[in-house]
Amino acid sequence: MLKRAEHILSLIPSSVTYADVRIVEQESEEIATKDGVVEALTSSTSSGYNVRILKDGVWGFSASYDMSKEGVDTTIKKALAICEASLPHKSKDVQLDNTKPVVGSYKTPIVEDPFAVSIEEKLKILLEADKAQRVSPNIAISQASYHANREKKYFVATNGSRIDQEIIWTGAGIETSAVEGAEFQNRSYPNSFRGQNQTRGFELVRELELAKHAPRVGQEAVDLLTADLCPSGEFDLILDGNQLALQIHESCGHAVELDRVLGYEASYAGTSFLTPEKLFDFQYGSPIVNLTADATIPGGLGTFGFDDEGVPAQRTYLVKKGKFEDYITSRDTIGKLHEINPRYNKPSNGTVRASSWSRLPMIRMTNINLEPGGEEGTGKAWTLDSLIKDTEYGILMSTNRSWSIDDKRYNFQFGTEIGWEIKNGKKGRMLKNPTYQGITPSFWNSCDAICGRNEWTVWGTPNCGKGQPSQVMYTGHGASPARFRKVKIGVVNW
Amino acid sequence: MLGKEKLKQIANQVLALSSADQMEVLLSVGGHMLTRFANNEIHQNMAWQDLGVSVRVIIDNKIGVASTNSFEPEALKKVVAKAIELAHVQEPDPDFVSLPKPSKGSDISETCVFATESELASGVATIIAKAKQAGLVGSGAYANEVSELVVANSLGLFSYHKGASCNLSTIVLGKTSSGFAADVGKTTQDIDAPKIATIAVTKTLESKDPEAGEPGAYDVILEPQAVSELMAFFQFYGPNARMYHEQASCLSGKMGEKVFGENVTIFDDPFHELVFPMPFDYEGYPKKKLTIIEKGILKNVCYDSYHANKFHADNTGHALPAPNTMGPIPLHLYLAPGDKTRDELIAGIKKGILVTRLWYVRVLNPKALNITGMTRDGTFLIENGKVTKPLKNMRFNQSIPEALNNVVSIENKLTQLASFEGELIGLAPTVHIKNWHFSSATLF
Repeated sequence: MLKRAEHILSLIPSSVTYADVRIVEQESEEIATKDGVVEALTSSTSSGYNVRILKDGVWGFSASYDMSKEGVDTTIKKALAICEASLPHKSKDVQLDNTKPVVGSYKTPIVEDPFAVSIEEKLKILLEADKAQRVSPNIAISQASYHANREKKYFVATNGSRIDQEIIWTGAGIETSAVEGAEFQNRSYPNSFRGQNQTRGFELVRELELAKHAPRVGQEAVDLLTADLCPSGEFDLILDGNQLALQIHESCGHAVELDRVLGYEASYAGTSFLTPEKLFDFQYGSPIVNLTADATIPGGLGTFGFDDEGVPAQRTYLVKKGKFEDYITSRDTIGKLHEINPRYNKPSNGTVRASSWSRLPMIRMTNINLEPGGEEGTGKAWTLDSLIKDTEYGILMSTNRSWSIDDKRYNFQFGTEIGWEIKNGKKGRMLKNPTYQGITPSFWNSCDAICGRNEWTVWGTPNCGKGQPSQVMYTGHGASPARFRKVKIGVVNW
Repeated sequence: MLGKEKLKQIANQVLALSSADQMEVLLSVGGHMLTRFANNEIHQNMAWQDLGVSVRVIIDNKIGVASTNSFEPEALKKVVAKAIELAHVQEPDPDFVSLPKPSKGSDISETCVFATESELASGVATIIAKAKQAGLVGSGAYANEVSELVVANSLGLFSYHKGASCNLSTIVLGKTSSGFAADVGKTTQDIDAPKIATIAVTKTLESKDPEAGEPGAYDVILEPQAVSELMAFFQFYGPNARMYHEQASCLSGKMGEKVFGENVTIFDDPFHELVFPMPFDYEGYPKKKLTIIEKGILKNVCYDSYHANKFHADNTGHALPAPNTMGPIPLHLYLAPGDKTRDELIAGIKKGILVTRLWYVRVLNPKALNITGMTRDGTFLIENGKVTKPLKNMRFNQSIPEALNNVVSIENKLTQLASFEGELIGLAPTVHIKNWHFSSATLF
């Protein structure tokens, strides 16, 4: 396929400033059970290619499934015509950074190919997990799901880059819904909204032991029906790792996307409060808050070898000891940042990806992580138990149920599936419908304790939306439980 | 585009590849363009074409689905073989009865024209010029799509539809404010770029230097885009037969009962003159206008063939592509217009808030249908029947059923809307709702 991509590249007129070609082959498999019935058993494939051309300072992008001679010719002509149409409406030439060309290959290291495991075995695992949730007549819905994805990408560019990659990622989870009259409660394992997802093979599904956890999940959903409502007030908040992962995603991950910051996403998801003059000086969080973008973490859902502009995967500090340090960047946005803030002089840190062959590559989160306690600049390595013991009064919240944040990433509100009251250092009564609200920098500046690496997990977020047309991307977030002081909790009395 | 006859030939070719008990094939062909602009220049400009084939086979009530994006004979053979392989290892679904049989529906003949990249760039240029003239920054997207859809099955059903759409939306930014406007149509000729440029620029200028609003319960005027963003959650979680029968919908068990205010009537009408029509659902079953809520009373919920068979109801033509784990969804739902003009709605408010759009709306509890979200791109205080000053954006926490019981009055016309964050509501009026709960403000 690399040869095919090179052939397509060779057909693009040499008068262009830069061009790249990506051929992508995607394969996925999905199984969903509900109430003991397999309601989705699907397999899908999609393949195609795109050409991205920089000519006269403007981009043109065209994509097609049609790899015939005529198809390729039409696709290239369309990209050139698009450059022509954009030309009168540019204000400045697009400038690419001087990233060196790369010749390389990458394949997700896996133990067990998910596509090689029999469907019968997958069905057995899911149906057992589905059945094991039904611990009470109050359980209205029991669900289990599994999916696997394989993405082969072949990238060539006029700067000499030549890269092939095979990314494999797998996910699975269970969800129970309990109903009593008007009351409706959910519990999920190991996370809500498609469970846990990682760039790993079927070994992930086996390690999750869905059926083993199902009775507890079912019972918690039932117990929530009669649990007390989460109290309202300003209390200390301990977030479990799976909820903190989404907090990082929404209030840090999106906020540090340089294209958003520069206004390129204004027409859809908005901009960001982390404007360039804040770089290096802004106190984003407390001194123990260290946030990284790291596309090299084994198993992370945002882990790869090279981004879709041919930049090698890397690890970057976004926030170091509480100070705002960096963005996630691309080859064509970084020059603008240099102009605005001359103190910044780095090339792209390799975060550009496209969700398919038919989509433009753009800045996407890789694995955006809160570094665990007990490491350089992160304070003591707490455990969840020691954190609870150290809390006089607070609420522990786990597993996301709802999430919302404004279009500059300041005002957020999250709801979780379950909470527990902490009183005098002890985990007490279960609480239903927990919610909390805050303003991003105030919230992260209230962080005073982070659990250590033993409780640190890279959670997968497979449903990150961005761009027009919309692209759903798979991203990861390393997180362990952490405590935040005096947070507005119980913001709705439902 | 391949045309009806060619697609029929491909569908028959696929159907001939299997001797399964029943089989369904869904074919799609699409050509798309999207010109995106920001900072008063075009920054992303793209075109793509794709096609798809999805096959559902049923063997002894065991269902397998496979899909790919090639119509090459080898690819078609492979996708059918994969669906059969999956069906063989599948567990039987005792509630599956049959795919829909052929039945008479309405044919819609549409003129479908591809836009050129120059036409899209020209529309964008109109907005950029207007924004620049006002010292503001234009951003947005202009999209065009022409698509064909075929559903055919082994019972003899064959349904074909071709459609086109154009959609120009903009957010114009000032130093302390922003304004939104959008227009939709079937061709670029239907899009009024100067009008939406004026609306967005005016909103941005009028919402300059906003003040912080106090959280609390207010009368609100929700403009059509905001109503769309609200109703999109009712659309998915409300009249969905699957959720209704699982006791997971706010409407569960309330058929024939008064669930909303008397001034609330909700239809699903795939043939309304202002929507992008769809004569059949994703099982090829004919669609028709359905009254969901009539004067506040729940009249119907939406079924596809599976849920109609399972719950002994009539199929209302609301299937999504298989496998559908969400349930049947009304894709052409709208709140019926009332009898007041927009100005009359505002004039009727002593103290309230006018909301241009909602943003990042999410469900807190799907059964109670409580939602949270932010206002965006133009939020204003209304005092004594007049819009008096701009407000910083605010967060709301609101029950949708409560809001639909608190509707004071509804605008007398419907506005066509662009699907912005995936919501599928194509029509909405401006609405006055009382006792809307704002819980906090943000910093801008």
